[in-house]
Amino acid sequence: MKCSACAFEAPIGKFRYLYNARIDSSITMRQCPQCEQWLAVDELLGEAKDVVNPGEAPWGKSAGIEGLAEDVQV
Amino acid sequence: MGQSTARTEKESSVEELKNRREWWFVAEKTRSKRLDYLRKGVWKKGAIGGNYAPGIKIDLTFPQLFIDKWQEHEGEAIMLQKAHALAHVLDNIPIFITDNSQIMGYIGSAPHNIVWHWQGISMVNEEIYNEEGIIPEPEEESLEILANLNDYWGGRTAVDKLARVLDPEDAVKFMSGAIGWGTPTSAATYSTKDFDYIFKGFEAILAEVEERMEETEEKLQGNPSPEILPLYDKLPRWEAMQIVLEAGIRYAERYARLARTLAEHFESDPERREELLRIAETCERVPAKPPRNLQESLQFDHFVQVLSRYETFEGAWPHRPDYIHGPYYDKDVNQDKRLSKEEALDLVGEHLIRTHEVGIFAPKWAREGLQGITGTWVWTMGGVKPDGSDACNDMTVAYMQAARLVRVSNPTFGFRWHPKVKDEVMRECFECIRHGLGYPSMRNDPVLVANTVHWYGHPVEEARTWVHQACMSPCPTTKYGCQPMRMASATANCAKMIEYALHDGYDPVVNMQMGPKTGDPREFKDFEDLFGAWVKQMEWLRNILVRTVNLGRVKDPEFFGRPFLSAIYERAVETGTDACDPSNGDRGNAWVTGFTWVENADSLAAIKKFVYDEKKYTMDEVLDALNANWVGYEEMRLDFVKNAPKWGNDDDYVDDLMVRCLREVSRHSKENRCPSNNTWPLLPENVSGNIHYANLVGALPNGRRLGDALYDGGISPGPGLDKKGPTAVLKSCGKFDHVTDGRAFLLNQRLSPTQLSGEKGYQLWKAYMKTWADLGLDHVQFNMVDDATLRAAQKDPEKYQEVIVRVAGYSAHFVDISRKTQDNIIQRTVQGLG
Repeated sequence: MKCSACAFEAPIGKFRYLYNARIDSSITMRQCPQCEQWLAVDELLGEAKDVVNPGEAPWGKSAGIEGLAEDVQV
Repeated sequence: MGQSTARTEKESSVEELKNRREWWFVAEKTRSKRLDYLRKGVWKKGAIGGNYAPGIKIDLTFPQLFIDKWQEHEGEAIMLQKAHALAHVLDNIPIFITDNSQIMGYIGSAPHNIVWHWQGISMVNEEIYNEEGIIPEPEEESLEILANLNDYWGGRTAVDKLARVLDPEDAVKFMSGAIGWGTPTSAATYSTKDFDYIFKGFEAILAEVEERMEETEEKLQGNPSPEILPLYDKLPRWEAMQIVLEAGIRYAERYARLARTLAEHFESDPERREELLRIAETCERVPAKPPRNLQESLQFDHFVQVLSRYETFEGAWPHRPDYIHGPYYDKDVNQDKRLSKEEALDLVGEHLIRTHEVGIFAPKWAREGLQGITGTWVWTMGGVKPDGSDACNDMTVAYMQAARLVRVSNPTFGFRWHPKVKDEVMRECFECIRHGLGYPSMRNDPVLVANTVHWYGHPVEEARTWVHQACMSPCPTTKYGCQPMRMASATANCAKMIEYALHDGYDPVVNMQMGPKTGDPREFKDFEDLFGAWVKQMEWLRNILVRTVNLGRVKDPEFFGRPFLSAIYERAVETGTDACDPSNGDRGNAWVTGFTWVENADSLAAIKKFVYDEKKYTMDEVLDALNANWVGYEEMRLDFVKNAPKWGNDDDYVDDLMVRCLREVSRHSKENRCPSNNTWPLLPENVSGNIHYANLVGALPNGRRLGDALYDGGISPGPGLDKKGPTAVLKSCGKFDHVTDGRAFLLNQRLSPTQLSGEKGYQLWKAYMKTWADLGLDHVQFNMVDDATLRAAQKDPEKYQEVIVRVAGYSAHFVDISRKTQDNIIQRTVQGLG
């Protein structure tokens, strides 16, 4: 797998597994051993998708209705 | 907080801020100047992502004062020795009065200091020595004090002594950290308190002690017989009670003197001068005598809490303040009109702040498991009186309103809902939830009263007095119902039950044989063989925890000693015993907290379906995948996650397994007995143990990898796995009996703040609560903060310091919890109601 931040290449297991906040998703957080950047990884493809910065959501929005009821009802 | 529009929060009207759900700024604009000052002036004592905030220091004055007297009284009965040491602390610890405050008392010598109890656990003492950032300057000098302290207490702490009598194998497995957490001593505990008795005043209790001592001394002068021999041990215990009660009165008088001195010699503002004189009068009155008004009752209460925490680490705060203080509020505000509602609200708001500021050092594992807070201080509100009538009062409403004004993450509230609760009170509960506080949690009072009677045989009138002993478990506040000591060490990491059943009792994470050898699962003929192995592992895991805690409980009076708690426990005063001595009439109210519980049902269901029913995979393949932590098996893992039945979707396939597991545990709960010969029911919940155990529980058949957070809550479905809406979640949770199948069951739900705005939102929520009550669930709590706000808080934590979320049995400021916990909360399903 190739790090999206520093292009370091190694087998996926060398990238430290952090967690998956949604086990129904194949996206996990791993950490590059070289630049220590947090990466969103697609475990099915074995590919680093992107660098994950604070506030970014590799799993997308929450399940359920969040975002569907935008209007404030007063 | 929230998304700012063109106008800044300072220029916005309260209505505009409310519409934007910028609740912190709403609170800022609507609370009194006093509350604003006190709230902003309070130090943050909860750990931020596991570390203490800059400026927070460990208090070294307290242990130095304590140890001086402790060593002087070496050789005396432990309760007496401790009483002398505590009295010396209370007579000499520096005290302070915060500007604008009206409630006195703090545990520590300065407001930025946190204390700890070095008599409890050597490991914690060593951890403090090595903890960066909290050692007071000059550091070298402080480290020398700590080193001397460690030298003296090494081998003498309560847990050190207990370790010498524990079975060595039990001790090693218990201390592995894999199967449970906590320490079996009342050095880290929580105690229920009976304020009907305590509010008699310390002088009245002292008179009672005196009377008992005189009676006993008379008997000792009489005919020699075996009956009088135990009396010799009672006298020093009563003497210890006397010493701490008198010291407690003197401690309050020190505040009275300080307030009077400030008023008479330093204060130039006439209004504040009056306040200081009132503080002086209050502290001269309580806790010596019964309170007469709201300020005195709140002050009495707070002094009792402070004195308790000088004696030990109270990790929870079992309390029912609306019930205790309600009559004084009524007298002051409604009858005598000596206080306006606004003035009363200032006192109530400060009560929350004074509680919030209490900080006690917790070891790293506890900080990880309780991120962002210093303890699970869940105050009980509402409920019924002993005769079954509605107990809600004006103070219930005042606490809810004050909570929205001061917005502290600790204490939080658990509201005892019952069918007679008035709509105005329900609206107050909902407003707190809608303001994003995450509390109150809603508790089903009729169910929990029945549960309390069922499990322990408490009389129903006593059961109706219940308070949350920690996050969730009800405990009566009566003479024989009060539980003096409950340790978090009866906390089971339940996911190990299925993990051990699949590994023949071996723990693949800590690499040791833990549970019994229940066989290689590859050899199991059918699902019943696997389930049988699960039952054996469950029984083993509960047995080891309960054995250890029972021993800790009976040895506590010998190894730790509780003079102050004994002095405020009627049954201890009456019998001349340590409050923790189970022989003094404690009826028993023990429970095993079940962390990481739901994974059992989901994992068993996945194996039952794929291995035994459909034969899609062999057990060999499953174990290979688990042993590889699912690496290289992603397609199979997703199959196990997405196509195996999951708890929380009203699917009988998995729900029946959940019920079956609970019934096995219930059966075993009656076989386990506490020192009072009562039961040990299971209480599934997680605080943030689901994060703490993420790296201690290996891969599971529900599709979880080692490192992933476990499910939050005690019966909450996994994040994103509840696909069929909130009613399906409630229906799943309603399939077992919340009275007889366990002690209590924590359910987290996340709701949409946009959907639940306005009157329509309240009506939707109320209808949901009716379904919840009709299905007989005992608990539910809500997060109502949207994704966008939480993601923005991750990105720019400085701007979102005051966003509060419900973690599990407690609330915390979102920015104080780890990224993993944050993501876990964000990914919880947002349920649409209606």
